[in-house]
Amino acid sequence: MSPATRRKLRDNLEAYAYLAPAGIILIIFWLVPVGVSLAMSFGNITALQPMEEFRFVGLSQYTEAFRNPAFVQTLWNTTNYVLYSVPATLVLALSAALLLNRQIAGRGFFRTVYFLPYITTWVAIAIVFRYLFHREYGLGNWFLGVLTVNLLGFENPVRLEWLSEPRGIWEMVFFEPVFNRSVPPLPFGLNNLVAGPSLSLFSIILTSIWRDTGYFMIIFLAGLQNIDRTLYEAAAIDGANPIQRFKAITFPLLSPISFFLLIISMIGAFKVFVPQFMMTPGGGPDGSTRPLVMYLYEEGFTGEWNLSYAAAIAYILTMIILGLTLLQNRLFGRKIEYGN
Amino acid sequence: METASGIISLLVPSGNTVLRLVVLSLLAVNAVALWQLWRGAMTAAGTTSPASRVLTDVATRFLVYQVLAIGAAVMLLPFYWMVVTAFKDGQTAAAFPPYWTPTQIQTEAPHPETGEMVPVVPQAVQIVAGQEIPVAPEEGVRFRRVERGGVWQTLELPDPESVFMANPDNFVTNPIMALDFRNFLRAWYRPEQTSRGEVNFLTYFLVSAGTSVAATTGTLITSALAAFAFARLVFWGKTVLFYLILATMMVPGQVLLIPNFLVLSGLGMLDTYAALVVPWLASVFTIFLMRQFFMTIPEDLWEAARIDGAGRFRYLWQVVVPLSKPVFITAGIFDFLNNWNSLLWPLIVTSSPTKRTLMVGLQNLNDEAGTEFHILMAASCFAILPIVVVFFFLQRFFIEGIARTGLK
Repeated sequence: MSPATRRKLRDNLEAYAYLAPAGIILIIFWLVPVGVSLAMSFGNITALQPMEEFRFVGLSQYTEAFRNPAFVQTLWNTTNYVLYSVPATLVLALSAALLLNRQIAGRGFFRTVYFLPYITTWVAIAIVFRYLFHREYGLGNWFLGVLTVNLLGFENPVRLEWLSEPRGIWEMVFFEPVFNRSVPPLPFGLNNLVAGPSLSLFSIILTSIWRDTGYFMIIFLAGLQNIDRTLYEAAAIDGANPIQRFKAITFPLLSPISFFLLIISMIGAFKVFVPQFMMTPGGGPDGSTRPLVMYLYEEGFTGEWNLSYAAAIAYILTMIILGLTLLQNRLFGRKIEYGN
Repeated sequence: METASGIISLLVPSGNTVLRLVVLSLLAVNAVALWQLWRGAMTAAGTTSPASRVLTDVATRFLVYQVLAIGAAVMLLPFYWMVVTAFKDGQTAAAFPPYWTPTQIQTEAPHPETGEMVPVVPQAVQIVAGQEIPVAPEEGVRFRRVERGGVWQTLELPDPESVFMANPDNFVTNPIMALDFRNFLRAWYRPEQTSRGEVNFLTYFLVSAGTSVAATTGTLITSALAAFAFARLVFWGKTVLFYLILATMMVPGQVLLIPNFLVLSGLGMLDTYAALVVPWLASVFTIFLMRQFFMTIPEDLWEAARIDGAGRFRYLWQVVVPLSKPVFITAGIFDFLNNWNSLLWPLIVTSSPTKRTLMVGLQNLNDEAGTEFHILMAASCFAILPIVVVFFFLQRFFIEGIARTGLK
């Protein structure tokens, strides 16, 4: 062995030694489980049916999931959660960032206040908002009372069931008043999309908008501050008004970040678990809040411990997330790198 | 104070405390805005800008302040409500319409003559035309009059016909505004009643703090080593390994729950503290974050260190790490919060009360205390407090870290 080869070997060994501590953990708890989980999803393992009796059942766990109305409902619940919470959060965050992206007194104060909900833990927030949305003595109903009686002059205060309301929001404000009936069942559970998220899920959506706006605002603010100020000065000299300046400079320069945030927040929202689990522990009225991950937890780690079924659900979730990631890569190619 | 509330009651004749508070805060915000306007006008007076532009600028600022103030109120209200409720008793916490201050229905008061504490029985009474008519509390309207040590407090009540549900000022209670810290103790010691052994929130805090600190320290060490290898060392399969690591970031953690649970049960590690720490001793994201930072450290430093006789490990430990303090703090914050806030994993791998983390403890309390919101709010307070305190000290790192990791 020549000295050069030996040195190369030694360098390599040294490098692997540096990688080893993290590598061992990642292999045991990340890499192997990904494969094991996939294998399990093609099997029939439950707590009663241990590993030794593993039997290959093909895709039947997946087909069973899509045939199960409970699963289809969780899929729609999660989709509704994503559809309503993500765009609202991003629009509010961008608006807040635009308002704060100027020289005003108290800028730091507002930034801190808007960001504060994000650093507090979801578990505690969920408890507080469960109280705010309580059907009997929550502030939500009190506020509705003040609004309708004191400000609008109604005879009786309007009260809502909030977290105990299984009807969809569009069902409540549009479908029932107009057609005088609830949304009929549609194929593939599309009635969930027509009726919108149930008011109980919508309460949770409001909570998550409240929590996440500040986080995305910080990122938008950083993006806004990266825009070259001279562009605005040039536009102002050319006589562009603020709306024109936003359309011509801010929006195009900010859209890469915006789409990136859209995708990563959608990925995050598909993995939602804690708010639903804490605010509606049983999955909400008629199971109308239960998200995918909560269903996975209930199927896999409670009751009959259908581990294979839960693994299949985890992989369905992975497919959704992988799809979103590929979409993001398609749209932006190498322009955006992870966390760089 | 009297005059102030008099002026405000003129502005809001319906006499609602909260509306008054809103008016008061709007006045305060507008005072700041007006001051800004005045300053802007003064500055503008010294320049040659056309008057119309100054006016537009002034009007914009004014509007921006209104919107920002409303936003801030929405953000702060739940926190205010949490803290206020933590100082209420069960009755006032479940009152509708709500009390906006830390209020308790007094149950004991010193006797005016003997001075000893005697129980006070809240009696619901309605006064109509000078006559006292007892009212059952279930009737939906709260009228309370309290006998304190034999002395009846006389309370004037409005005409019952004018009473409607949504206005708390039309209800008279015996509000005793006081900061009563007992809810915090009740919440803190509550778990002991429901499980065997000496378990309370101190246990939960210690478990959470211990496992989070251990996992974070471990992650920082393993990630620094791996990131250094990826940033500065040359080895076979570097590119492949790096992309493999990036790819694992796309896999949702939920996929790993079931196999990891089985691995831990195979190793006999279920329901141990190690189960809360060992799987989280490495983080792909932290490796990536650190690698990006290490790449920016000039190569000349390594040459200098080598000439001084330092090995790679010593270079990493004595040169790279001290230079990378910001990224260590940022990564440390995120890792710590991830561990501290996690609920699903501890829920799955631990079962005995002595190994509950704070989040599982809170979740348990949420299930058990149900609608005892005064207890739940007190518990939420002390779960949030440590993070908020840390946030105010390390705010710069929080915000810079998020801006850096979410960007580019």
